Amino acid sequence: MSYRTIKYEDLGETLYEYDHKSGLKVFFVRKPGYFKKTAMFGTNYGSIDNIFKVPGSDKVIEVPDGIAHFLEHKLFEQEDGNMLDKFSRLGASPNAFTSFNQTVYYFSCTDLFEENFKMLLDYVQKPWLTDENVEKEKGIIGQEIMMYQDNADWRVFFNLLDCLYVNHPIKLEIAGSIESISKITKELLYDCYNTFYSPTNMAVTVAGDLEPDEVFAIVDNMIQFKDRGTVEKKYPQEPEELNQEYKEQKLAVSMPLFFMGIKDNVRVSGPELLKRRIALSIIMNDIMGRSSGLYDKLYSDGLINDTFRFEVSLDQAYGYVAWGGQSSDPKKTSEIISAALKEAVEKGINSDSMTSIKKSHRGMFIRGLNSVDNITHELMESFFNGACYFDTGRIYEELDIDYVNKVLNEVFKNKAALSVVKPQ
Amino acid sequence: MGFPAGKTTAEKIAEKNGIKFYRINSDKFKTTRVDLYFVDNLERERASGNALIPALLKRGCAKYPKVTDLERKLEELYGADIDGGVLKKGENQLIGFHMSHISDNFTSGNEKLFDECSELLMCILKNPMLEGDGFKKSLFKKEWDNLIDYIRSRINNKMRFSLLRCIEEMCANEPFAIADEGSEKDAMLLNPQNTLALYNEMLHSYPLYVYITGPVDDSSIQKLIDDFSAIERGNIKPLKPTGVEKTVKDVKRVDESMDINQGKLCLGFRTNVQPSSPDYYPLVVYNSILGGDTHSKLFQNVREKASLAYYAQSILEKYKGLMVIMSGIEAENRSKAEEIILKQVEDMRKGNITQEEIKASINALETGIKSMQDSQGAIVDFYMSQHLTNLTDDFESTIENFKKVTMDDVVRVAQNVQLDTIYFLKPDGRKAEEGNV
Repeated sequence: MSYRTIKYEDLGETLYEYDHKSGLKVFFVRKPGYFKKTAMFGTNYGSIDNIFKVPGSDKVIEVPDGIAHFLEHKLFEQEDGNMLDKFSRLGASPNAFTSFNQTVYYFSCTDLFEENFKMLLDYVQKPWLTDENVEKEKGIIGQEIMMYQDNADWRVFFNLLDCLYVNHPIKLEIAGSIESISKITKELLYDCYNTFYSPTNMAVTVAGDLEPDEVFAIVDNMIQFKDRGTVEKKYPQEPEELNQEYKEQKLAVSMPLFFMGIKDNVRVSGPELLKRRIALSIIMNDIMGRSSGLYDKLYSDGLINDTFRFEVSLDQAYGYVAWGGQSSDPKKTSEIISAALKEAVEKGINSDSMTSIKKSHRGMFIRGLNSVDNITHELMESFFNGACYFDTGRIYEELDIDYVNKVLNEVFKNKAALSVVKPQ
Repeated sequence: MGFPAGKTTAEKIAEKNGIKFYRINSDKFKTTRVDLYFVDNLERERASGNALIPALLKRGCAKYPKVTDLERKLEELYGADIDGGVLKKGENQLIGFHMSHISDNFTSGNEKLFDECSELLMCILKNPMLEGDGFKKSLFKKEWDNLIDYIRSRINNKMRFSLLRCIEEMCANEPFAIADEGSEKDAMLLNPQNTLALYNEMLHSYPLYVYITGPVDDSSIQKLIDDFSAIERGNIKPLKPTGVEKTVKDVKRVDESMDINQGKLCLGFRTNVQPSSPDYYPLVVYNSILGGDTHSKLFQNVREKASLAYYAQSILEKYKGLMVIMSGIEAENRSKAEEIILKQVEDMRKGNITQEEIKASINALETGIKSMQDSQGAIVDFYMSQHLTNLTDDFESTIENFKKVTMDDVVRVAQNVQLDTIYFLKPDGRKAEEGNV
C-alpha cells in the first residue's frame, strides 16, 4: 500500500495522505494515547451551490434553497433502517453538518473503528430516497428552520450577510425556508447527489490512535463509486458594493445585538488562502481584540460586553470579516468602530503588536491539535480550498508585516454594513 | 512517566488549609492547565456575588492594573488563557478559575510558561484592584452592570431559558431553583464593599480544589502549591448536602408566552436517585434509552416517527437527581407531543425495553466516558464531580459500573421516576400575524 508520510516536527504531528484509485483523497493523523477516533467523509458541496451543471448533460439547473442540507438529512435513511440508529448500536456517535461550502458526515467512536468506518463509507455512497421519506423530512427540517428563526445570534448574522451580498447565495439560510423546502423532490435530490457526491469532489479525514495501513485498506475495500466528471458550480456575479448598509429586526431579546461586517472582494485559494485568512485574523485582533485600545474603550464606555467577538470567513468562493455582540447602543458603537477602522488603514499595523498577536494565534493553532475532531474538520475544510491545515504553522513563520498591511488596505477600505436585532 | 499508558488518573499530591491539590496524569496533550474550584453552598444571598467575583478579578490585578496590558501579556505568552466563572452542581455553587498555555516545547524561546502563567493567575486571585474598603468603584460598576445585563439576557436563548424556568418552577423553595449566576433582584443588592467581603470569604474559607494537567516540572508544581499554601486560610466552610428526595403530590403545569415562532416544551421529573446510590448507574442508562441519543425512544418516536420536532431529548442533573425532557414543537402539536413523550416514559416503567436498547445505551456511555479522557477540561470536570460527591470511581471503574447494569435495574429506577412539572413556552401569536412562519 503506498501513501505519503509528511512529518511536521515543529507541531509534533505526522500526516498520512492516500490517493484512492477513484480519485478520492484520504488523510490520516495518528494520535497516540487518544481513545477517541473520528472519521469524516465530506463533499465539497454546501448551501451556496444552488446552480450547477448536471454531469453527462449540458443542462445547468437551479435547485431550491436548502437542498444540500436536506440531502444531508436524507442520507442517514437507508433501505434497512436509519444509520444514526446503527452507529449508536455500536456505541459510536454519528452526525453530519452542512455549511456554506461543504457537507460532512462523520462519527466518533472508541471501539469497533473498522465496523463504524465501513458503515460511514458505505452509506454515503448509497442514497435511498422515496417520495414518502422525502415528505416526512419536511416536518423535521421545518422545525429546525423555526428554531433558527427564534435564535437572535443566528438572525443578526444572516441579516448581516444579506446586507453584505447582493446576489451571492451565501446570503441564503443554510436550511432554506419552509417555502423553498416544500419544492424539494426525490428527483432533485438525486440530481444534487449525482453531481456532487463523486470521488474527486470528496475527501475522507481520520484521526485517532490507529495505523495508516489499517485506515487506507478499509477505504480501498469500501469505495465502489466511480468518478462522474468535473463538477461545474455557477455563482452569480457579485458586485463589490454592499447590498444595503443597515438592516434591523425585532425579536424577544433583553438588549440590542449588533453584527457588522466587510466583504473581502479578493478571491484566492490554496496556501495563499490560509495566509490571507491568518493575516485577516491578525488585523482583526490588532484593531478590536481584547488587547486593543478600541475594545477597551468600547467596554469601558459600556457599549460592548463579554459577548463581543470577531470572525474571519474566507473561502475560494466568498470572504468577509465580521464582528459584534450585545450593545446598549449599536449605532454609536458602529460609528466608533468605523472611525477606528479608517484610522487603522491610515496608520497600518504596528509591527510589535503584530509579533505578539502572531505568537498568540500560533499558540491557539497548537491548542487545536489536542482535538481529533478539530483536526479532521480542519483538514477537510482546508483540502477543499486547495490547502493543508498543517501548513498553518509554517505560514505563521513566513508572514510579514508588509503582507499584512497590504491585506489591511485591500479589505478594510471597503464599507462596513450593520445588522441590528432590537428588543420589542 | 510513572503511570500506565492509556490510564488517566488523578493523584492527590497535597492537602493543606482546606485546599486539595490533584495531579492529572495524562501525557498526550500539547497544553498545560491549572483549574481551581472554590465551592460554596448555593444560596440566594451569595449566588450573584459569587458570580461577580471572577468577572472582577479577570479585569486586572495589582501588577497589571490596565486590562489591555494583561491581555497583551497573555498574547506574548503564546495565547495563554486565564478565565473564570461560576457553575452549579446540585446545590453547590462553584467559582472556577483556570489558566492554560501551550507546552514549552512548542515555543521558540526558553520560556518557562507555567511559572509565568502561574504568577499571573496568583496575582489575579490574590491582588485584585481595590479602592478603600471595596473593589475599585469604576471596575465594580462596569462588571455589576454586565452581570445584570447577563442575567436579563437569559431570555435570548429560548431552549436554555425554558429549561431554567422549568427548574425554577419545579424546585421553587429549594436552593436548586437559584440559577448559576443568581437573580437580578439579588444582584441589585451588591456593592463594592459587600462584594469584597464575599471575595475574602471565598479566598480564605471556601473549600478549594486545584487540578494540574499536562506537561510541567515537579519543581514548578511545588512552587504553585507553596504559593497557595501561603494564603491565610481557616474555618473552612462546611458544605451542605443537596436535597434529592421528594414525593410529588400534584403535577404542576406552567404556561408562559413570548414573541417566538417555536414552542418549547420541558417536562421535569424527580428520579430520587443520589449520585452515591447503587441506582445511579442504572439511572444514567435509563436516561440514555429514553432520550440520551439518536437511538433513544424520544428521538425515534417524537422526531423520526411523528416528525414533530427537530430535537427531543432528556437530560439528567446528576447531583439533584432531576431529569428534564425537552423538545421544540409547533404550539398546535403540544398535546400530541406531550402524549408521545409520556407514552415513552410509561413504556420504560412497564419494562417495554429491548436488550438491544440497553446494550446500545451502555455502548454509547462507554464511548462517552472513554472520550472524556481526550479533553483536559472533561478530565478535570469528571474528577471534580467525583471529589465533590466523595466518590472514588475512576474512568475504568465507571465503565465497569455501566456494564453491570441489567434490565431489572433499569426498570427498577423507572418505577421511581415521577413527573413533577410541565413547562411550556408558547408563541404569543405575534410572529404568526407578521407572517414570519
